[in-house]
Amino acid sequence: MTLTVVNNATCTFCGCVCDDIELHADDVRIVKAKKACVLGTAWFLNHTAERKYPDALIDGKEATLDEAIEVAATYLHEADMPLVYGMSNTTCEAQRECVALADLLGGLLDSHTSL
Amino acid sequence: MGGKVTCTLGEVKNRGDFIIYWGGNPAECHPRHFTKYALMPKSKFLPNGRKDRTVVLVDIRPTKSAKAADIFLQVRPGKDFELITILRAMIKDQKISAEAVAETGVTLEQCTDLVARMKKAKFGCVFFGMGLSMTRGKHMNSAALLTLAAEMNAFTKFVAMPMRGHGNVTGADVVMRWQTGYPFGITFNRGYPRYNPGEFSTVDVLVRGDADAAFIIGADPGATMPQPAIDHLARIPTIVLDPHITHTSKLSRVHITTAVAGISAPGTAYRMDEIPLPLKPALKSPYPTDEEVVRRIKESIAKKPFWMPDGAQMIAAQV
Ligand code: SF4
Repeated sequence: MTLTVVNNATCTFCGCVCDDIELHADDVRIVKAKKACVLGTAWFLNHTAERKYPDALIDGKEATLDEAIEVAATYLHEADMPLVYGMSNTTCEAQRECVALADLLGGLLDSHTSL
Repeated sequence: MGGKVTCTLGEVKNRGDFIIYWGGNPAECHPRHFTKYALMPKSKFLPNGRKDRTVVLVDIRPTKSAKAADIFLQVRPGKDFELITILRAMIKDQKISAEAVAETGVTLEQCTDLVARMKKAKFGCVFFGMGLSMTRGKHMNSAALLTLAAEMNAFTKFVAMPMRGHGNVTGADVVMRWQTGYPFGITFNRGYPRYNPGEFSTVDVLVRGDADAAFIIGADPGATMPQPAIDHLARIPTIVLDPHITHTSKLSRVHITTAVAGISAPGTAYRMDEIPLPLKPALKSPYPTDEEVVRRIKESIAKKPFWMPDGAQMIAAQV
């Protein structure tokens, strides 16, 4: 097991998005988050790289990623008024894909801001 | 920036000598806001740090943040808009009635003192939180406060900034504005983006039962939305992308596990002042990233017949 140190890592737990965190990590978990506050530390230490959940679920049953992608695409394509919602806990790169998805579907697009 | 009079947190740190927090509790929700930007740092134009700054907290009750403030103003719940409007009148020396002030829970002396201090400031900054934007008046409150900050510029430099919540909500606003021209509450059902919160915002759409499929990413409406909206999500095919099995996953038809942004997925996130920052994941996830999964779903849909037979003009995702 190797210990890696990431300097100036970015915490996305709150809107401060602190970018001065020093992370110490082994292969599966972050063991230390220097400079992070209590909330940030909990955020970093509570996520691991373990395989805790199945890759995908279809109707509650385990499925492969490829199957799930196909089923999702079919549901969204068949809908008359599909909704793309959320985008809080994700990257701008994924958000960009979400906009393109809603556009392609002729659907609705909305984020947490509207709540 | 969507037309608001604002600045970066770097400017707040270096110049902001008068800080107002309105309807927010940074001590508990944005713990490093005080120390990194707004209260403590010793900086170029504020060499004595905290001593060079005056801090005001406006809220409906004294939270932990009140201890950090020099002045605490307790506004009556739901009276934020009234108080802001009174302040807007007072900075222009307009007459105000004593009853109107009394209703807000803040005294006339406190208002007079606040206005005097605001005008004396070299660089004022008002941060507003959910206590302002999610209570009676909602976005009208935020709009009034942004106007107050803009109008203060007749006297001194003054800016306003929302204290955005968890994750990359700011990024969502920015990306949607960049791609569609609108920040949220959008529909593409005519082939081009249209904006109308109340009509196209998610809670309204779900409570009315309009949407007939939902794609949920980086959010858990099953835990946060009103029950009728959740009931509708359970009725229609719902697809969830999340690093965990969430409440929404449990009522969905499809759940796909993805890597955690910033921990095991790389990318970009926006700070509350709309500064993009790169993420530096420390772990390698066994799961794909959100970006990859959304792109693959999009590509799969693109192979199917287009929903609009004559083909409308599309905005390509820019790279
Ligand atoms: S370290 Fe604390 S203050 Fe900074 S982004 Fe993370 S949760 Fe927010």
